[in-house]
Amino acid sequence: MIDFVQLVILGLLAGGVYVAVGVGFGLVWGVLNIVNLAHGALVIVGGYLTWQLFTVLHIDPFLTLPVDAVALFVLGYTLQRGVVNRIIRAPLLFTFLLTFGINLVIVNILLAIFGSDFRSVTPAYSGQGLELGSVVIPYVPLISLGVAVVLAAALALVLNRTRTGLAINAIAADRDAAQLVGIDLRHAYAVTFGLGAACAGVAGGLIAMIQAITPTAGEPYTLQAFVVVILGGLGRVSATVVGGLAFGLVEAFGQSIPGSGSVFANAIAFGLMVLVLVTRPQGLMGRLR
Amino acid sequence: MIATPASTTRWRRMFLIVGAIIVAYALLAPLTSLDAAQSANVPLLADRLWFRIATIIAMFIVMATAWNIIGGITGYAAFGNVAFFGIGAYTTGMLIAKARWPFLAALPLSPVVAAAFAALVGLPLLRLRGHYFAVASLGVGVAVGELVQNIDYRGQPLFGGASGLFLPIYSIDNRGLFFFYLMSGAAAVAIAVTWWVLRSRFGYGLMAIRENEEAAAVLGVNTTAYKVMAFALAAALTGLAGGIFSQWNVFINQDNAFPIEYNVQMILMALLGGTGTVFGPAAGAVLLQLLIQFLGGTLPISFDIPFVSDTVRPILAQIILGLLLVGVVIFVPRGVIDFFGGRSRLGLSYLRRSLRETSL
Repeated sequence: MIDFVQLVILGLLAGGVYVAVGVGFGLVWGVLNIVNLAHGALVIVGGYLTWQLFTVLHIDPFLTLPVDAVALFVLGYTLQRGVVNRIIRAPLLFTFLLTFGINLVIVNILLAIFGSDFRSVTPAYSGQGLELGSVVIPYVPLISLGVAVVLAAALALVLNRTRTGLAINAIAADRDAAQLVGIDLRHAYAVTFGLGAACAGVAGGLIAMIQAITPTAGEPYTLQAFVVVILGGLGRVSATVVGGLAFGLVEAFGQSIPGSGSVFANAIAFGLMVLVLVTRPQGLMGRLR
Repeated sequence: MIATPASTTRWRRMFLIVGAIIVAYALLAPLTSLDAAQSANVPLLADRLWFRIATIIAMFIVMATAWNIIGGITGYAAFGNVAFFGIGAYTTGMLIAKARWPFLAALPLSPVVAAAFAALVGLPLLRLRGHYFAVASLGVGVAVGELVQNIDYRGQPLFGGASGLFLPIYSIDNRGLFFFYLMSGAAAVAIAVTWWVLRSRFGYGLMAIRENEEAAAVLGVNTTAYKVMAFALAAALTGLAGGIFSQWNVFINQDNAFPIEYNVQMILMALLGGTGTVFGPAAGAVLLQLLIQFLGGTLPISFDIPFVSDTVRPILAQIILGLLLVGVVIFVPRGVIDFFGGRSRLGLSYLRRSLRETSL
């Protein structure tokens, strides 16, 4: 029973990272109709930024997260404005190839700068945890979960309460009508991609504290973000939060099966995705559109 | 079409002539390395390194041409075809290394197993469309590689595990030549299959699916069967290339049998040459693979890039490949063959038009 509780807690805590990775990915997918294969690379850029600030300037890693968000927003805005906007009307395959190309460039630039060594961010309190009886809640994942939920709430607030957010919603509903009422599509698209990238940056900062990162460490997160968004249901931030937590739970239980270990993470993620797509294509929380 | 018929046919004829010369040279030059040719003082036109590169190019011709059947003709953006390459490689590899089958008996099973697997996963996957199919197939590519490396049977890795699978060397005179011609044969088969598909009822059904799946179904195309068959056909050809690769390379593991980057390379090749055509993917494979080998510094003719050390060079090659991907997608989305042959005028106006058609 204690093991079960511990497993649920660990799963939910791990879900925090997936929420953070998923919300940005889901935003870009839902609004721009782009499956961003460079999302994992953007995540790792955020991770390296946090690592750099932590090791060189000795800033507390959680305080570097806003820096990640701002830097990645600028990068994402520039990428969309300069490159991705050029193929918005092209067939699906092209957005895939384009974002994969961007992924390749970013990952290899990181390789050229940082090499392929493992880097980890270890503040003094990492490895410690809250002990409640025989159940242990590690601090870093706990705060990460909190950050992820705050991030999702902030994103939902921006989308539903600000003019820019409403413009983004309008585009998601009907691009041509949005243009007719005077929304600057190029700018709004770039802001959307920038927001997605900012979420990726924050997620990367969290990931750097939880696991050791390399330039290629982001690739699994692209696939996992996709699964998380499908699991929750495309189109709403709250659905992605549910999807992320559910994914964390599934993964925690999957890894607890004797003899499997973490080596089947992708296989589990993929199997889950096909299961959801075949049985409930709108996701756990989604509405049919 | 803005192209005038005269200019199109002129370009096309030139392409065919140049292509035929290149193919003839590539197929005949290796023969000069035979002992008989050497003793007759025929100049050596191709050494072992060139065979190796030419064999790799032929391998990619098979993969790009096979991808074209599902991705180009049927219009389903398959992103995980490397799974079939790996399955083909491991089928032949396991039969030779563990069951001690002779190579030529094991090889025909590679396409069969790959096609069977494709039909099995294709049934649920091909119900998905658009993004869902693309990422689900990407997931298959990743997951199969992972499973092959990690499945244990009675405490022993079933498929050689992380240390890979070693095959006995196939003993035959002129091994390099043998595998070059075998892989070229596979490439010829892939191209011939594409040629047949494009002229058959089956192919017209696939194209109807690409253009409008509902309309195709209404017209009486059994879309599910057609899609699964196209997927399995692509898998069989890719698996054949994998099977030849495993015996040629003698050693296979997750890294060289399931390289994720092949997924995108084969698509880029098809795209570069022109999707939906017979020779386009092959032309793209030659161009792109030569470029990759050149950037990687493995071509015999190579030069030192200033300020770039040997360790950074492969990284730089990847960056250039990524930029090329971005550039091709934005500026020449219909492939180089269209770029040279499809329009009456080349140059900036073509690029600008491509850009305007797809930009926001």
